[in-house]
Amino acid sequence: MVLEVEGLSKSFGPVRAVRSLSLDVRAGEVHAVCGHNGAGKSTLVKTLVGLVRPDEGVIRFEGEELSLRNPQDAQSHGIALVNQELSLVPELSVEDNVYLGGVDVPLLYRRRRLSEGAREVLDQLGLRHVQLGTPVETLSIGERQLVEIARLLVRDARLLILDEPTATLSKPEIERVFRATRDLVAQGRSVIFVSHRLDEVFELCDRVTVLRDGQRVATHEIQEIDRRSLIEHMLGEMEGVKTMQEHEHAVPGADDTIVRIEGLTVPGSVDGVSLALERGIITGLAGQVGSGTSTILRALGGLVPSATGTVEVQGKRVLLNTPRRAAAAGVLYVPNDRQREGLFLGQAVERNLTVSRLRRLSRLGVLLRRRIRRTARELATMTGVSLERLGSPAGSLSGGNQQKVLLGRALQLEGTALLALDEPTRGVDVGGRAEIHNLVREAARTGTAVIFSSTELDEVLDLADVVVTIFHGRIVSVVPRADASASAILADMTTTQAASRSAAS
Amino acid sequence: MMARVGIERRPLRFADAALAAWIAILATVTVYGAATTEGFLTVSNMKAILTAASFVGIIAVGLTVIVLSGNLFSLALGQTAAISAMVFLYSLRWGLVAAILFTLVLGLAIGAVQGFAVGAWGANPIIVTIGAAGLMEGMAVWLSHGQSIVPPVDETSWEHLANPVLGLPAPVYVFIAVTVVLAVVMARTRFGRQIYLLGENRTAARAAALPITLLTVGAFGIASLYTAGSGILIGATSANASLLLVGSYTYDAIAAALVGGNAVTGGRGSIARTAAGAIFIATISDMLLLRGYSTGAQILVRGIIVVVVVVLTNLKERTR
Repeated sequence: MVLEVEGLSKSFGPVRAVRSLSLDVRAGEVHAVCGHNGAGKSTLVKTLVGLVRPDEGVIRFEGEELSLRNPQDAQSHGIALVNQELSLVPELSVEDNVYLGGVDVPLLYRRRRLSEGAREVLDQLGLRHVQLGTPVETLSIGERQLVEIARLLVRDARLLILDEPTATLSKPEIERVFRATRDLVAQGRSVIFVSHRLDEVFELCDRVTVLRDGQRVATHEIQEIDRRSLIEHMLGEMEGVKTMQEHEHAVPGADDTIVRIEGLTVPGSVDGVSLALERGIITGLAGQVGSGTSTILRALGGLVPSATGTVEVQGKRVLLNTPRRAAAAGVLYVPNDRQREGLFLGQAVERNLTVSRLRRLSRLGVLLRRRIRRTARELATMTGVSLERLGSPAGSLSGGNQQKVLLGRALQLEGTALLALDEPTRGVDVGGRAEIHNLVREAARTGTAVIFSSTELDEVLDLADVVVTIFHGRIVSVVPRADASASAILADMTTTQAASRSAAS
Repeated sequence: MMARVGIERRPLRFADAALAAWIAILATVTVYGAATTEGFLTVSNMKAILTAASFVGIIAVGLTVIVLSGNLFSLALGQTAAISAMVFLYSLRWGLVAAILFTLVLGLAIGAVQGFAVGAWGANPIIVTIGAAGLMEGMAVWLSHGQSIVPPVDETSWEHLANPVLGLPAPVYVFIAVTVVLAVVMARTRFGRQIYLLGENRTAARAAALPITLLTVGAFGIASLYTAGSGILIGATSANASLLLVGSYTYDAIAAALVGGNAVTGGRGSIARTAAGAIFIATISDMLLLRGYSTGAQILVRGIIVVVVVVLTNLKERTR
């Protein structure tokens, strides 16, 4: 065993994030760590790289017992984390990024030797075509991810932890990251792969460990387990099967259009998108990262001042050039980046839940504290966020719960004509995703129109009543869910033929 | 003064312990100083401390709204106070009430304009307020021809503003009253709540459709209004106003907000903290004064306290 973790425990205040957890990773394997949101995955990962100090427990790496103080410390022992949020400097060259912050880069370094080292590692990762001097900002997100990995390899990382590495990647990019991962493992390095995407777990990993409520539920060879039992492990007995069930989809065509979009255009991103959104209908924008789906929703939310085209809400034309105008017209945008743009991480959950309805929770500018408390409780109950956490900062919640808080603040608001949800379940696991989908359906049932974007086919098929595929900022197809097939949507989302087809039509 | 941290994050233990230790040291020094400094523990000295804290304190609690809104500081506070004092003494010829109202409205307007530049155009608050400070100084010199302003000879009503009421100078009551009012506003009103949210995350505030321009105008308006109020009291107390009054009010107010432990980046802190900071600084200064230290030494000690508190609160904020 390369890595042995024994009896690991860590509490944050009253919250026991990880409880006497044990885990072992073999040399040369890809080891998946799966679990519901809040199961303890990120605490485990942070402990392994020295970001969090455990209360109890032993971490043994290559036979040596480690007591890590910080990520640099972990790195010097050969353990490194590839983050969801990449830490590259976009303006600097690939080579500079690879060595940036390196512990053992000498003060007077020999450029040539470093260059050769960087080249070798990049080639190894399949980035043969990338020049060392290229600024990182010109690379695709997948390539950046690989540069990030390269950066860890030149520091001789022998255990790499990939935390949701594919969340923002397109299919071919994922393939490339996987290929690189397999090569690394073949060299005898080990990889811990944290992901919500079960398909990827089955495709890439040798073994899988499932966490629930901070404890290890099971570890299996990947051949020994199937998707269904993996989900059951993750969810426990309660809802394992429920999440797999098919949902009824509303049928559009009642001619109950509430929002009409004509020729929405954002230079360089969205090209003449027209849509009619009906009351109670959930419209899913399916497109890959960078296809423009997200920009369409941002423009509806008033966050893209350069957007042109017209938007009518309930027959009235509205200028959506500021978020305040959009909100006043009844268009509510929920951002995809909950950390940066969505939540107020340092403020209490209660404050986050009520931010969009303070006007109705105050009289003459004075907050009605009892009503605020009650509303926050209702929304927390509805979204399944623990009532005990209402006073804690939003940043202390797990990713999935943060997402619920973000969605919760947009729910049950009077006067909402359109809910625009930008990747509503980004970084959320299967169970959390099902819950969020139910909340969205509930919101649609009350008569608002819903539009969401997603890069994931599963999500679009599960949630959308109408599937709109977007490629290069244009609508490729608009299909009612009943007529939509996974393969057709995938084809429309990805192929350049689709683009030419739409251009021709 | 650190008793209630509005929102608990999971703190770095070291930073927490260090901060607690630091507060303990300060408390010990204060108590020791109080016990051994001749003339410190007297009623008249307590009054002197409170009076000294009032003028800066009023400015500092107003400034706190800017700090909480995530717009750093205003560097025009001293100038605003000085020209408010000048305007007040000059406009006394129209009567006391008119003079007070006129000065306050002017102060509010000066701040609102700066807030608009920051909120609507995204201008850097430091640069905007430095510019405003320069403009105000220029205007003041031009209009007053560089002369000190004194109140009209036949008008004495303003003296009430400087005279003691029930044994304490009037500015002390004003300080207490405006602090309480602002503390309630920040804790109990929609405006206050939204200021905290804006200061916590401006990008998110924009996406959540908060009225950013209005809030920023409000923050700078309140800070400037409070500063003008302090300027009126300063003018009434010195009965003679010129740009010499600019003095160190800007830095003293910022120091009070920082020593109180408000997060420089916004979103976390409180009015009460700043008031405590102002009183604390006044106490230390007073003690040093009584023990015969020079003004230089007083400034030095104040500087050290500010730096240490800022470093420690920053460490504490950098939690995970």
